[in-house]
Amino acid sequence: MIISRRSLFSRILQGLGVSLIVNQHLPVAQAAGEESARDESGPLIVRVTRPFDAETPVREFTSFLTPNHRFFVRSHFGPPPPEAVSEANWKLRVGGLVEGSHEFTLTDLRQMEAVTITAVVQCSGNGRAFHRPKVPGVQWERGAVGNAQWTGVRLRDVLGTAAVQAGARHVQFQGADRPVVASVPLFTRSIPLKKALHPDTILAYEMNGRPLPILHGAPLRVITPGWMADSCTKWLTEITVQADESTGYYMQTAYRLPTTPVEPGASASGQSTPVEAMVVKSLIAAPQEDETVKSGPVAIQGMAWSGEAKVVKVEVSLDEGKTWESARLIGEDHPYAWRQWQLVWNPRTAGTFTILCRATDVRGETQPATSPWNPSGFLWNGWDRVSVTVAL
Amino acid sequence: MTNAGHMIIFSLVIGLVGLAVVTAAQEEDPATVSAALAPRAEGLVIARCSVCHSPDLIAQQRLPRPRWEATVEKMKHWGAEISDDETDLLVRYLSARYHPGAPDHLSPLDSELRKAEPLTQEPVAEGPLTGVAVRGAGIFEHNCQGCHGTGATGGMGPKLAKNPILKHEDLFWETVLHGRGPMPAWGSVLSRQDIADIHAWLLAR
Repeated sequence: MIISRRSLFSRILQGLGVSLIVNQHLPVAQAAGEESARDESGPLIVRVTRPFDAETPVREFTSFLTPNHRFFVRSHFGPPPPEAVSEANWKLRVGGLVEGSHEFTLTDLRQMEAVTITAVVQCSGNGRAFHRPKVPGVQWERGAVGNAQWTGVRLRDVLGTAAVQAGARHVQFQGADRPVVASVPLFTRSIPLKKALHPDTILAYEMNGRPLPILHGAPLRVITPGWMADSCTKWLTEITVQADESTGYYMQTAYRLPTTPVEPGASASGQSTPVEAMVVKSLIAAPQEDETVKSGPVAIQGMAWSGEAKVVKVEVSLDEGKTWESARLIGEDHPYAWRQWQLVWNPRTAGTFTILCRATDVRGETQPATSPWNPSGFLWNGWDRVSVTVAL
Repeated sequence: MTNAGHMIIFSLVIGLVGLAVVTAAQEEDPATVSAALAPRAEGLVIARCSVCHSPDLIAQQRLPRPRWEATVEKMKHWGAEISDDETDLLVRYLSARYHPGAPDHLSPLDSELRKAEPLTQEPVAEGPLTGVAVRGAGIFEHNCQGCHGTGATGGMGPKLAKNPILKHEDLFWETVLHGRGPMPAWGSVLSRQDIADIHAWLLAR
C-alpha cells in the first residue's frame, strides 16, 4: 500500500496529538484550578484532558473542509480500547423490531453501495460558554464544530437488509465506549425512524477520504446530516429498532431542550424535547480576535450553516448591529455543508473595531443577538463577534 | 453618665460592630474560604472526581451553590464514593472557588498538592508495612482503575500487572506518593497502608 507523505504525516499527528497534549498539561496543575487548557496555538484547544474534549481554533475554519487532526473531539467516556474496535474483533449487530438478527463486519459494509456526504458536525453545547447565567458542562466557545466529507453506507440500506417490522418508530445506537465506573449510564441514543430512513443518514467509515480516526469513532459512526452531533454515535456496535425513544439518562434527561422558554438561571423542569436539528449560525474565521490589521482592504471571511435548510444570506455589522452589509457567499454549495462567505472591508481610520456577523436561512430564520437561555446551554447561535485593531 | 462615658460606650459599640463586620467579611470571602478548604478539597477532587474525569472539567465551571450541590449529588448517584462529610466539604469548596462571579482566569492555589493534608489520619506506623492484597483490590478499583484499567491491565496509564516497577519498591512508592509525569501525587489521598495494600494486590496479579 502506498501512503503519501502528507497522509502519513497526518496519521502520525493524529496518533501523537492526544498524548502530546495530555503530557503537556499535568493533572496537578489542573487540580489546582489553573486554566491550563487555554493554549490556543496547538492544533486543538483542549477543554477536558480526560475524557479528551477539544475544540478547533476558529482560524482553521478558513478551510472548507476541517482536517481530521484538527476536528473537534467530544465523547462522554473517551474511545474504547483499540482491540475492542479493531477490524478483526469489531462487528455491527442489528436487532429489535427487525426480521431475525443481523451482524455486519466492516468487509460486509464496504461491499455495500458507498455514499459520500459533506456535512457539518457540531456539538450541541458549542458556544455554551456564552450563555448567561453560566450553565454547567464543558465550556465550549466557538470551535466545537467542523465540516468534513463522510463516506459510508446508508443506514436505510443496513436496515433494509434486516427488514424493519411494523410498530418500529425509533432506531437506537450504542457505541463500544464504556464509563470507568459501571454505575454510570451508557451513552445510548436513538433517532426517529423517519430520520434513520432518510437517504442522507449514513454509517461512516471514512472521514475526509481516510479511515475514520479512533477519536472520531473508528471503525464506524452515525452521521445524521443537519442534526447535532449527539445523534452521531461513535464506535457504533449495536443498532436496535424499537417502538419508543431510548430510555436512560442521555436520551431522557441530557440533550433535551425545554418546550417552553425558561427563566434564565432556572433549573430544568416541565416538558422537554430532544435536541435534533442545528440552528442557523455563522462564524468569523478571519481576521482573528485581537488581530491588528493594516488600513486598506481587509478580507473578512467565515462560514455559515443551518441544519436542514440552506443559508441564503450572511451579513456583517461594524457598528454593533445598527447597520448590516451583505457578504458574498463563495465556494462549494452542498446541502449539509457550511457555506463560506467573504466581505471586503475598507477601514479608513485607526482604532479598535468590533466585527459582527449573522446568517439567515431559506426559511427566514436569522441568528439572534443572543440565544434563548436553557439549563444545559444548548444551541448557542448568537451573533459572532471579533474585535480587531486597525493600524494606519 | 458623663459625655466621656457615652463616648467610651459609643466607641466600644462601634468597635464591636466593626469587628463583627470584618469577621463576617473574612468568613464569607470566597477566596479566603476556598484557600482554607483547598488542601483537603483538592485531595478529594483527585481521589473521588478524577477517577472519571480530569479536574480541568471542574475548574472551568462557574456555578452557584445549588448547582454545585446538584452536581455533586448527580456524581454520587452515578457511583462517586463521597461520604456526607466529604460532600459538605466539596460543595463548600467548589461554590467558594468556582462561583459565578469568579474571574475566568483564577490565580493558582498557594498550597501545593503534595503538601495537602492526608484524608485519612493514621498513626505513623513503626517498622515495615504489610500489604493486604484483598484490601488492595478495592482500593485500586476506586482510585487507580480509571487510568490503569480493570485488573491493572492498562488504560490511559500503563499496565501495572507484572510491571517491573513492582519489584523496585522504592520507585513504586516514590511514584505513588509524589506522582510522575501525568500521574498526580497520591500522598494526600492514600494512606501508607492503602499503598502497601495496592502493592500487595498488584504483585499477585
